Amino acid sequence: MPDTTTLNQTETHVSTQPPWNVIVHDDPVNLMGYVTHVLMKIFGYNESFATKLMLQVHQQGLSIVWSGELEKAEFYVQQLQLHQLKTSLEQAE
Amino acid sequence: MKVTPTLEGGLRIDPETPEDWLALRAILLDANDDEIDLATRLGSMVSHERIAEDWRDFVVPDLRESFSDDLNQIHAAIETAAAFPKDGEHPIWITREDAFSWYSALNQARLALEEKYHFGSDPEFDPADHATVHNEALIRSQFYCALQSLLLSHAL
Repeated sequence: MPDTTTLNQTETHVSTQPPWNVIVHDDPVNLMGYVTHVLMKIFGYNESFATKLMLQVHQQGLSIVWSGELEKAEFYVQQLQLHQLKTSLEQAE
Repeated sequence: MKVTPTLEGGLRIDPETPEDWLALRAILLDANDDEIDLATRLGSMVSHERIAEDWRDFVVPDLRESFSDDLNQIHAAIETAAAFPKDGEHPIWITREDAFSWYSALNQARLALEEKYHFGSDPEFDPADHATVHNEALIRSQFYCALQSLLLSHAL
């Protein structure tokens, strides 16, 4: 029986691409409690963090609610738009 | 009109006058009275050159279909309640499962009214400065908002 060896090799890929930002914009219709509820539901944020982001949207006009790879960012934007939140997607600089 | 929370975590709406039915049916009329539909407006927020075209071709139609499904569901609930009274009453039941569709329909109506009349959240806004049609739209928008608040508190 021939000797066998197992080669364990770990590769680490580090993306050099800047992340994509999911941005929620303020609008005069969506209720503050609803925006918090949606952020908790879609991202699994706790109420305190979701409220903080919602207040940023309300007071500053927008908030980056998530950053990361494009595919996930697209999914989140689609979910937020399905919940009728004004949401854009931009690549960080 | 009476709106009451149910033990199952939903809402029950009891329209009592013809005006109540008009107010409920107006949700659909207002939601559909939009020059540029909501899906297109939301979809245009994604404008990055790498993804805008795909977004327009694939995501916006899905949004449009989902928003339309919500309106159809609300339409069916209202008209079923109107057509089939029980013991002389016409209750409209909103279960937890239906709550998001109701919230969505009311939001579509409010967003369309806002696009058309620009009520905003101006603390200086005085209804006396505006025409009757504008004020009626404002009252409807406030009614929709009140229903949304109840949905948010009791059903979502």
